[in-house]
Amino acid sequence: MATELVSGNEACARGAIAAGCNFFGGYPISPSSEVAETLAKILPGHKGIFVQMEDEMASLGSVLGASLGGAKAMTATSGPGFTLMQEHLGYATLAEIPCVVVDVMRVGPSTGVPTAPSQGDVMQARWGSHGDREVAVLAPASVREIYDMTVNAFNIAERLRTPVVVMFDEVLAHMREGVELSAPSHDELWRRPRPLEDPGPSFRAYLPNEDGVAAMPNFGDGYHFHVTGLMHNEKGFPTTHPETIRGLMARLKRKMDPLPFWLPAEHYRLEDAELAVVAYGITSRVAREAVDRLRDRGVLAGLYRPRLLWPVGAADLADTLGRFQSVVVPEMNQGQWVEVVERYLPSAVRVVSRSKLGGEPMTTEEILEGCREFVKKGVRAL
Amino acid sequence: MWKKEIRLAGSGGQGLGLAAMVLADAALRAGLQVSTLQSYGPEARGGASRSDVTLCDQDIANPWFSKPAVLLALNEKAWMKYGPELAEDDLALVDSDWVKLPERRTVYQIPLERIAKTEMREKLAANMVAVGALAAAIGRIPLDVLMEAARSRAPKGFARINQDAIRRGWELMEDLKGGVDRGGARGA
Repeated sequence: MATELVSGNEACARGAIAAGCNFFGGYPISPSSEVAETLAKILPGHKGIFVQMEDEMASLGSVLGASLGGAKAMTATSGPGFTLMQEHLGYATLAEIPCVVVDVMRVGPSTGVPTAPSQGDVMQARWGSHGDREVAVLAPASVREIYDMTVNAFNIAERLRTPVVVMFDEVLAHMREGVELSAPSHDELWRRPRPLEDPGPSFRAYLPNEDGVAAMPNFGDGYHFHVTGLMHNEKGFPTTHPETIRGLMARLKRKMDPLPFWLPAEHYRLEDAELAVVAYGITSRVAREAVDRLRDRGVLAGLYRPRLLWPVGAADLADTLGRFQSVVVPEMNQGQWVEVVERYLPSAVRVVSRSKLGGEPMTTEEILEGCREFVKKGVRAL
Repeated sequence: MWKKEIRLAGSGGQGLGLAAMVLADAALRAGLQVSTLQSYGPEARGGASRSDVTLCDQDIANPWFSKPAVLLALNEKAWMKYGPELAEDDLALVDSDWVKLPERRTVYQIPLERIAKTEMREKLAANMVAVGALAAAIGRIPLDVLMEAARSRAPKGFARINQDAIRRGWELMEDLKGGVDRGGARGA
C-alpha cells in the first residue's frame, strides 16, 4: 500500500467512508469544511447521500432522521456550530440514536478566530447539553489516528446507540502527514443490534440486551415504535414514573462503561518516570518531543495521553499517575481537562495547569519551561 | 537524525500551500517522513500566509515548530517577521525584488517572481521556482522526483509551466551554491 500525503480533515472523511458512513448532513464552517468538501466528492460514489443543510441545527437533525432510517450518519462542524447542535445531541442521547459528530476546534468563544486552533470545547463536549447525560468524546492526535478514530466513533455509536463526538483542532485538521490508510475489514465494523422477533404489538423498542442496549429497527421496517426526547418506558412512550426514569438514566450511563477499555490512554516513557506530562490532541505531539528532550537532559519524564476525553478512564489515570509528586497538564485552553486529572488523583499529587491561548499551539520550549520548577537540582539545566 | 523544518512565507494567493504540497509529496516519494501545516487568515487572497513543512528521516514526533531552519520569504513582511529569528547556519531564500536585506546577511537571493513572469510567462509560477531552488539547496530530493510530484499536483494546464519553473529554480540554486562555494555572492 502506498504512503499518501493526507490532511486530518480528509482522513476524517475517508475514515467515515471506511466505517460505512452513508449519510452526511452538514453546514460548512472553518476549520472543518474539508470534511464536508471531501465527503461531497466521494460519498455519492459509495452509494451515500450528502446534504448541505441550512444551518447546524438542521444538520444534526437530518443526521438523526437518517440514522433512524438505518443510515450510518455523520456531521462535522466547529465551535459555533457545535454550540447549535447541543440540543440535538441531548435528544440523540436520550432517544439512543447512533450518530457521529466531528468538532474541529477553533478559537472561541463566539466566532473567535475561524482559522486558528484551540482546545476550548473540551468541557462543552462534556456539559454542553443539559440534563446530566453521559457522553463519548474521542481525541485523536495524528492524521492516521483521525482516520482510525472516525471508524472507532462509528463502531461505538452503532454498538451503544449513542452520539459520539470526535474532536481535534485546526492544526490537526489542516496538517498533512504521510500515511497508509488501510480500510478496516468487515468484521472490524460494528453494527447496531437488530431485533430478532418479527414486528408485532408486543415489540418493545427500548428493551435492553445484556450490554444495556436495545435492538434498533429502522423506520420503515414495519415495527411500530415511538421516539421521543421525553423520558420513556421500554415501548418508547413518555413516562414520569420515578423508578422507570432512574432505571433509564442508570442504563444510559452503564452502557458507556466499556469505553475506557476500548480506547485506553497511551503511556509514553512513563514506567520509570519521575515527572508526568498529561496532554491530548496536537498538544500531546509537542509534549512528546518535550519529554524526549527532558530525557536527553537526564530528567525522567513521561507522557500520559488520553485518547478518550469522556468518559474518563479514571481507574487507569489514578493507577498510572497516582504515584507521581508532580503532574503537568498543558492545554490550549484556560485549564479544562486538568480538572479531571485533579479530581481523580490523590491530593498528594501536585497537578499543575499550563495554559496557552491566542490561537497558537504550545511550543516544545514552553512545555519545557512549564516543567522547569519540578526538575530536581543537579540535573543539567533546561 | 536528519530533520529540516521549512517555513514558506508570503501572502495569500501566492500558492504557498501548493508549494508545500509539492515539496512534501516529493520528499515522501524520496523516502522521507513528512508533515505540512498551514496558517492563514479568514480571507482567500492577501493577508499573511504561511506553510510549514517538516522533512525527517525518522518518524516526526512533533509536526509543530516555532522557529524554522529553512525560510522562504516572498515579501518584505514575511522576511521582517521570520528572518530575524534565523540562526547563522540556517538557510534562507528570498525574492530579491521584494525583500530588502541588511547588507551583511548571507541569504540566497533570486528574483523569483520576475523570473516566473519573464521566463514562464506566469507570475504565479514563482512558487515553483522557489520550490526548485529550495529543494536544490536542501538536498535529499532528486530533481526527477520533484518534477514528478509537481506534475501530479499541478492544477489543470499548469503541469508544464510548473515543471519548467522548478527546473529553472533548481538551476539557479545550483549556480548560486557554486558561487558560494567559490566564495562569491549569494545573489542571482
